Amino acid sequence: MNKSGFSALAASVLIGFSALPAFAGEALDRIEAAKTLTIATDANWAPQSFLNEQNEMDGFDVDVGKEIGKRLGWEVNFITPGWDIITAGNWQGRWDMHVGSMTPTNARAEVFSFPAIYYYTPAAVVVHEDSSVTALSELNGKAVGVTTASTFEAYANQDLTLDVVDAPGLTYEFQPGEVKSFANTSTALDDLRLGAGVRLDGVISSLPSLLNAIEAGYPLVQLGDPIFYEPLAVAIELGDPELTDMIAGAIEEMKADGTLSALSVKWYGVDYSLAE
Amino acid sequence: MLYAETVDAEILVHKPRFIAGAFCVVFLILLMFNLPASGLGELMRPVIGEPSESGWFGRVAVSGVLALLFCANLVVIAFLPMRAQVLAVWLELLVLLLIFFETFDLSLPFILEKLPFLITQGLLTTVYISAISIMIATVIAVFGAVAKLSGNGFVFAIASFYTSFFRGLPLLMQVYLIYLGLPQLGIIVDAVPAGIIALSLCYGAYMTEIFRAGIQSIDRGQWEGARSIGFGFGLTMRRIILPQALPVIIPPTGNQFISMLKDSSLVSVIGVWELMFLARTLGQKTFQHMEMLIAVALLYWMLSIILEFIQSRIERHYARSKIR
Repeated sequence: MNKSGFSALAASVLIGFSALPAFAGEALDRIEAAKTLTIATDANWAPQSFLNEQNEMDGFDVDVGKEIGKRLGWEVNFITPGWDIITAGNWQGRWDMHVGSMTPTNARAEVFSFPAIYYYTPAAVVVHEDSSVTALSELNGKAVGVTTASTFEAYANQDLTLDVVDAPGLTYEFQPGEVKSFANTSTALDDLRLGAGVRLDGVISSLPSLLNAIEAGYPLVQLGDPIFYEPLAVAIELGDPELTDMIAGAIEEMKADGTLSALSVKWYGVDYSLAE
Repeated sequence: MLYAETVDAEILVHKPRFIAGAFCVVFLILLMFNLPASGLGELMRPVIGEPSESGWFGRVAVSGVLALLFCANLVVIAFLPMRAQVLAVWLELLVLLLIFFETFDLSLPFILEKLPFLITQGLLTTVYISAISIMIATVIAVFGAVAKLSGNGFVFAIASFYTSFFRGLPLLMQVYLIYLGLPQLGIIVDAVPAGIIALSLCYGAYMTEIFRAGIQSIDRGQWEGARSIGFGFGLTMRRIILPQALPVIIPPTGNQFISMLKDSSLVSVIGVWELMFLARTLGQKTFQHMEMLIAVALLYWMLSIILEFIQSRIERHYARSKIR
């Protein structure tokens, strides 16, 4: 998930306590001691990570996490704290690594180290299938739904900065009249499915999630080409260069031997492991 | 019922004027909806013909029949004894609710498939988090109430600060504060204990006030009498004050228990796999979240009904002295 901020609530909590020393453990020591890598990810972000028919964690991010653990010789264990709690940092050793489609931004780089970018998701726009809108530019002045504190919201507000090296170029295709923010994409899609213009005219989200909704029978169609590609990275807490190198090495290997491409094709039907 | 009614009066719903009034109101309300377009129109096809072409005649006919049924139902139920009345009205409301859910076109097989996991993982977690929190909160409340009634300035100050603080913050914020804040002091608590601490402290504060009010409702003469025959503080509390205060304390405390059961859903934000968390996540992949939300809503409701039942049994136990 690619929300570029974290909740004001978590922030205020952290600011309130920031005068006190933090007690962060060395992640690598902890992992080596337990022989287990604890991975935080979202349980609400299909097809990246979700609960499958067997009620277990599954999805692209989950597979990537398992593969990293396998290559480094560790058992893996998933936990599912809220997104804002993950991005707030100060993990306190509750988990060691985050594989949950986080966009590496400058702000986040002050709290996290990003060992490797493991894929690029296209962001796209959907409209209701009865909608008269046929081109992205026709969304000018219309109501568009996005996830709160996401890169999609930043895009809709024409305020998106992907603070990463070699980020793909970016142009704003339209200027919505109203940007409505939701806690998650599915609520926005539920509003859009009520009909064209009833509550929303369009929704911006990651293309895989949107295609997933269309496959599930939502009366939506994709509008035009993807509007931007965003890099998504594995995150760990700062101060563990050895672990950073190990994870970066594992991802490099997975890219080189085609594992990452294969996983991408398995979950998305296309290879997103390379920027377009 | 406050006390058994001893004055006979004609039953309200058997008065013709009341029934006529009820019929008019219900009829007019139903007229506002396009009822022939629903399944009811289909049922009345022999009378109104093709429902979509029946126009105002169809509307009037369907609404009239429904309003008549409604009023007949009122009259019939009024003849029943009290307990049967309650049962009948409950059943009717329940059927209406189910019909309402039915219109959502839910996938029952999906609910049945997920139900075992909802119960073994979600329901169990919700119940044990609530149960532990309720116990801790009750203990806090007893001590808090005594402290708030204390003449000792320090004790009173601490207790009133505690109730003021924890009643003054949203529970959701307390969950975050404890989960994110305690580690800053070097105490790393997992999600479940953090949730239990937050729920216990918050509900302990509310229940402190309930217990205090209950204790204060006992006439001071009871206290003075006990003290004058040489009872100590503890003995007076245990043997004289609390037994009399309990009937006052129990109804609002039962309320708190039921409320806590549902507020335990707030710990889902820190990733505890309880009912609310599963309700939001299980149906996501296949976009069947209405199924999960409604299934979990019914599970919460059933749990609450069990608690209501237990509460009414306890209340009956303490109302023994009022029975004639």
